[in-house]
Amino acid sequence: MAATLVSLPALPERWAAEKDFKSVGKLTKDSATQRTIEPVGPHFLAHARRARHKRTFSEDDR
Amino acid sequence: MSETKPQKPGPAPGDRAAIGITFGNSNSSIAVTVDDKAEVVANEDGDRQIPTILSYIDGEEYYGQQAKAFLVRNPKNTIAYFRDFLGKDFKSIDPTHNHASVHPQDVDGTVAFTVKDKAGEDDEPSTLPVSEVSTRYIRRLVTAASEYLGKKVTSAVITVPTNFTDKQKAALVAAANAADLEVLQLISEPVAAVLAYDARPEAEIKDKIVVVAELGGTRSDVAVVASRGGLYTILATAHDYEFAGAALDKILIDHFAKEFMKRHPGADPRENARSLAKLKLESEATKKALSIGNNASFSIESLSEGIDFASTINRLRYETIARNVLEGFNRLVESVVKKAGLDVLDVDEVILSGGTSHTPRIATNLGSIFPSSTTILAPATILTAINPSELLARGAALQASLIQEYEAEDIDQSIHAAVTTVPHITNAIGVVSVSESGDEVFVPVVLPDTAVPARRTVYVAAPKAGGDVLVKIAEGNTHIKVTKPEPKQAAKPNGNSKAAKVEDADDSDADESDFSEDEEDEEEKREKVWNIGATLAEAAIRGVKKGGKVEVTINVGADLGVTITTREVGAKGGVRGVL
Ligand SMILES: Nc1ncnc2c1ncn2[C@@H]1O[C@H](COP(=O)(O)OP(=O)(O)OP(=O)(O)O)[C@@H](O)[C@H]1O
Ligand SMILES: [Mg+2]
Repeated sequence: MAATLVSLPALPERWAAEKDFKSVGKLTKDSATQRTIEPVGPHFLAHARRARHKRTFSEDDR
Repeated sequence: MSETKPQKPGPAPGDRAAIGITFGNSNSSIAVTVDDKAEVVANEDGDRQIPTILSYIDGEEYYGQQAKAFLVRNPKNTIAYFRDFLGKDFKSIDPTHNHASVHPQDVDGTVAFTVKDKAGEDDEPSTLPVSEVSTRYIRRLVTAASEYLGKKVTSAVITVPTNFTDKQKAALVAAANAADLEVLQLISEPVAAVLAYDARPEAEIKDKIVVVAELGGTRSDVAVVASRGGLYTILATAHDYEFAGAALDKILIDHFAKEFMKRHPGADPRENARSLAKLKLESEATKKALSIGNNASFSIESLSEGIDFASTINRLRYETIARNVLEGFNRLVESVVKKAGLDVLDVDEVILSGGTSHTPRIATNLGSIFPSSTTILAPATILTAINPSELLARGAALQASLIQEYEAEDIDQSIHAAVTTVPHITNAIGVVSVSESGDEVFVPVVLPDTAVPARRTVYVAAPKAGGDVLVKIAEGNTHIKVTKPEPKQAAKPNGNSKAAKVEDADDSDADESDFSEDEEDEEEKREKVWNIGATLAEAAIRGVKKGGKVEVTINVGADLGVTITTREVGAKGGVRGVL
């Protein structure tokens, strides 16, 4: 992949969007599968910290 | 542990001395971390691979290498190959490997071993549940580690195979607790191996697919792991009890037993328990020597009926007679890649772990089923490979050092399913670019099987002249494109392609006979190709300067909401949008 030279396409002439951003699609539930991350390693610890803080956040808000 | 019964309270975090342990059917290891570097520790006998064996003589308990040596002289009081029986019903165990040592026995449906573990003439033999055997063995490991550290080891992270059931895990934790050892966490073997590699200072955290082949003495376990931003997700696993180190020992046992019988017609040494035990030990030693050298000797004093036996074998011969077993590892690895829904072209690294992974032929055989872009991490294929016998204990020690300062309750909460089970996107998300020839090309940014929340950034060149550019974000996935070699017949008529000429010159005198050979010679070409799927968003970056680059960051939230930010590298502002 890295070897092929690629570049972004030029903007089509008539392309226009508010604030230059057009939302076309989105991810739905079908775009993902529930899987289990292994609770191991430094990056998992960071993930767990984020996940758990968010929970206590919303609990605090109530 | 969320899935096991609560342990009795362990020491406060500040009072812990924590190590990593791998507890295998054949061998165990202990590891510590010093200045964030993990090292496997030798026990008092100088062994880093400590046979998982206990032996009793005159009331004295031996473990490790000493106990293994007693398989010849004292098999009736030597307990080996018991780890896999922990937490299992008697009726579900496979005692294949226990023929030459104490046989497991059925005590009310559970597994036990009877040994004479006390010195007194009148003392009755003891019937020890497998949990007690494990406790005694773990106690010896902990003592060895405590001696090394100069303080009492209180806690450990222990590795377990990916198919260990909750019941087996609970039994292991209980057995460790009974040895006065707090289990901080049980971690799965393949992930311990990946962690050991990722913890090297020179390692960079990349998104990659890793196959971990844990090849031991009595079993081989293979896993496909998606490593995404340092988070590990197991995509598929396979377990095999046929293709493992013991099968290779068996090849050498049979080989040398036959040679012995050729020289000394008569009794088959394999039919005498003691001779067989000697054959087994020496075969294993010879096998290990063949991992390093091209020749190895084999010699046993008084193999059978008082006759000494000495012989040699070279590696090529060994690889020939062991070919079936050696190739079995390939099939196992291929099957699990397939089970994960992947192709060998998707695999970035293969980590060879476990004692049997020292075998050069296994590593080179695996190299032949993967493309050259796949790194095979084994001593035979890469100089900087970590000793495969040390990966698991190292990974466990690293994890122990990461979590030892947390309260047990915090650890339990963090490894709970509420934290670990999260959506993983099935397709990639990337940027649609164009190649020099004007074709659309998908540049993946967030790869399939990435756990969310996740954030990734790429830099893509703008057209050489600069100007206004389109940043089109789409989903993508891959397919394998197979290009069949052009049949020679067809190539000839239209004449004079260089390739055809060279080939003609090559087999000038074999024109009629080379028909079928050709098809084998020219292999079909297989490549991984990205398909561009549904468009998610478009953004415009205006007035990019000549030779400029555009930065695109895709952030997928826990709720699968996508935020895109993009701007010219070095410029202010930019565009941000939410899906
Ligand atoms: N240098 C070597 N070359 C080849 N085989 C080796 C080498 N070192 C160890 N082995 C083999 O590795 C096997 C032990 O593997 P390991 O130490 O990983 O044990 P384990 O995980 O406890 O095994 P299991 O649980 O599958 O019985 C034995 O069959 C041993 O002979
Ligand atoms: Mg193992």
